[in-house]
Amino acid sequence: MIDFKNVKKVYSNGVIALGGVDFHVNDGEFVFIVGHSGAGKSTLMKLLLREEIVTSGQVFVNNHDLTKMKNYRVPKYRRELGVVFQDFRLLPNKTVYENVAFAMRAVGTPAKKIRKRVPAILSTVNLYDKFDCFPSELSGGEKQRVALARALANNPKIIIADEPTGNIDPKMSMEIMNLLIKINRLDKTVIVVTHDQKLVDYFQKRVITLNDGKIVDDHVGGMFE
Amino acid sequence: MKRRYSLTYLIGESFKSLWRNGVMSIASVTVLMSCLIVIGGFALIILNINKNVDRLGLMNEMVAFADYDLTDEEIASIKDQIDKLENINSVDHITKDEALEELKANAGEFGDVYAELEGEENPLPDTFHITYNDNSKASTLYYQLIQIDGIYKVNNRLNVANTIDSIKNGISIVGVWFLAILFVVSVFVIVNTIKLAVFARRNEIEIMRYIGASSWFITIPFIFEGIIIGLLSGGIAYFIVYLIYRYIENNAASNIQMLSILPFTEVNMLLLAGFVIIGILTGIIGSCTSLRKYLKA
Repeated sequence: MIDFKNVKKVYSNGVIALGGVDFHVNDGEFVFIVGHSGAGKSTLMKLLLREEIVTSGQVFVNNHDLTKMKNYRVPKYRRELGVVFQDFRLLPNKTVYENVAFAMRAVGTPAKKIRKRVPAILSTVNLYDKFDCFPSELSGGEKQRVALARALANNPKIIIADEPTGNIDPKMSMEIMNLLIKINRLDKTVIVVTHDQKLVDYFQKRVITLNDGKIVDDHVGGMFE
Repeated sequence: MKRRYSLTYLIGESFKSLWRNGVMSIASVTVLMSCLIVIGGFALIILNINKNVDRLGLMNEMVAFADYDLTDEEIASIKDQIDKLENINSVDHITKDEALEELKANAGEFGDVYAELEGEENPLPDTFHITYNDNSKASTLYYQLIQIDGIYKVNNRLNVANTIDSIKNGISIVGVWFLAILFVVSVFVIVNTIKLAVFARRNEIEIMRYIGASSWFITIPFIFEGIIIGLLSGGIAYFIVYLIYRYIENNAASNIQMLSILPFTEVNMLLLAGFVIIGILTGIIGSCTSLRKYLKA
């Protein structure tokens, strides 16, 4: 459950990034967030990740009030989210296996459980045979799949993908999107921030359109100007 | 679910990243090691100079010779006057008879040569062996002694005493400041080196934060790395200083008779402990201060 209530965000340099945003995402929903650059998508992501705090309004995620959350609670909160970035952000000096296992170790999962779960997740994203490779040896699509596997590692309820197909070719993009749909069917909420109009039109999901820090459109079924 | 963090994993992780960030690790160890060698070398020089100065200081002694034809009362009065002076540690009155006995004893089997000088014929004067506390006031004492009636001569090492005194003052002032500045500079250099190492890995830290790793989970491997770097640098620095010191002990020192060099065994523990403590502390401080910037949620 994600709930934005009249959220405003003004940066210290005076830039109004979000000027009163209201929306609600139910558990298990699949939502595209689209908009031109500067529309406020990144700020929305940062608020969701509790990297930034709202200027006014309220943000609820899984019953946490992010506006009142103490800093030391943030790491634990972030474990409820799985995040995928446009630039993958894999640890370059760890293998595929280690990158996924790392996410589980970081939250204190017992080694036994890690050994059991990592191969299973890598199979889910069809990367089992590459477990021993370093990120530099992988294609863009493969890297993004590792990132997806890592996002799934701690079994979060919400997956947030920031331009997940921004750095990979169209064919691989479809594969990544299909994986996200597959993950959504596993009863996880999926939020995808994207520029890619073709993908949005193809999948016919709920689309929230941002412009100049405001929601200008929120409907199911693709298409955005 | 039970949360369990494995310490062996975290330590293993530190070694791995040290290995994988090879160049930065080598840079950190080299810089820290160089700083330690300079600090250690300078501390050893100061320790040695102080030891030598202290040794010279043990010779705080003057000998006052009394006139020949004094009565016992006059001698006693001289001793009284000396006793009353400031800065006196001890006064040892050696009568002319005692002095003669000593001469005899020193002469060994030829001691009989002095036999006919006993009694009235004794040509030796009464002497006062005076030791004093404060080197810097030695000249005052000398002038006070020479003014006492019945004393015709005072042997002294005033010039030595004065030189020692100024050397000692100079060294302790310069030494303490130099060491302090050296230490501060070293800490800066080391902390900056570690900062570079942490900066090179800011992506890694950022990823950990997004995954939801707690701050200390992120920090601990860096601290272990700091400790390992500290231990490594301390160990190597100790070994190098040991080699250099041994060389000086065996070669240079024997050529300068006046100097006595502290044996290495007397300073090694101090040196090793200092190196390891400075190494580990700077490693930890460096890691923590550099990380703080990236850990703000």
